[in-house]
Amino acid sequence: MNQFDPLAVVFILSSLMSVIAAALIVWHRSIVYSAFFLSLLGVGNAILFTMLGFPIIALFHLAVYVGAAVTFILFSVVMLREAPVVEPPTKALALIAAAVLALMLIKVFSDFSAVPSFMLNYRDRTMLLVTKYWCALIVAAIALVTTLIEAITLARREV
Amino acid sequence: MEVSWYLAVSAVLFGIGIYGLLTRRNMIRMLLSAEIIFNAALLAFLSLASLDAGYGPVGGAIVVIAISLSAAEVGVIVSIAVMMFRMRKALDVYELRKFRG
Repeated sequence: MNQFDPLAVVFILSSLMSVIAAALIVWHRSIVYSAFFLSLLGVGNAILFTMLGFPIIALFHLAVYVGAAVTFILFSVVMLREAPVVEPPTKALALIAAAVLALMLIKVFSDFSAVPSFMLNYRDRTMLLVTKYWCALIVAAIALVTTLIEAITLARREV
Repeated sequence: MEVSWYLAVSAVLFGIGIYGLLTRRNMIRMLLSAEIIFNAALLAFLSLASLDAGYGPVGGAIVVIAISLSAAEVGVIVSIAVMMFRMRKALDVYELRKFRG
């Protein structure tokens, strides 16, 4: 007797949202809409992260990735007029390659049958970042500052 | 839900991203496809990290740093694309060859 599992429904909806958004990023004609669908992919992924037991990572993904990076792409793309580009005539070959890669990964990943029973503790993660990964944290902070400087330079530069 | 389902979603996202990367020459579209692959990698990484309580905090810390670096990488590539568009009025990656010093 199958019981109704609301988590399974949330998983199916969020994974469908992610996959459809990814497909639309690649196949949609307008590059602005493609950038918008990237933000939907980020939201779908954040829901999946929460279901895996990483709600803080999901919030960080929404704030930094969707809120900053994707919005930066979206606003930059609005400045660019999409010029026609001759696409390489390798679509069938690329489709076969991508399908084979995806099927191989699914085959490899099908061995992992465990259920995630993990909930990330905010205190543990923060302590780990500060004590063990402090150097990487500084590098990441500097990298984010460079993004800010790039954005300001883009806004001011006159060629 | 078993972890294999999350990993399957990640594999599908990876395949779509690879297809987009192989079939496009527009720099922004290639960046968006690379971002799909990045999202697939994050999902796979966190799925595998959630299998063991010992790996969880380490996986979370690495993903936080990866997301920050990805945001910076997006800034760099979009800056190059905007500069290229201003100078060449095109976003074709084949045009990048002409920027060689």
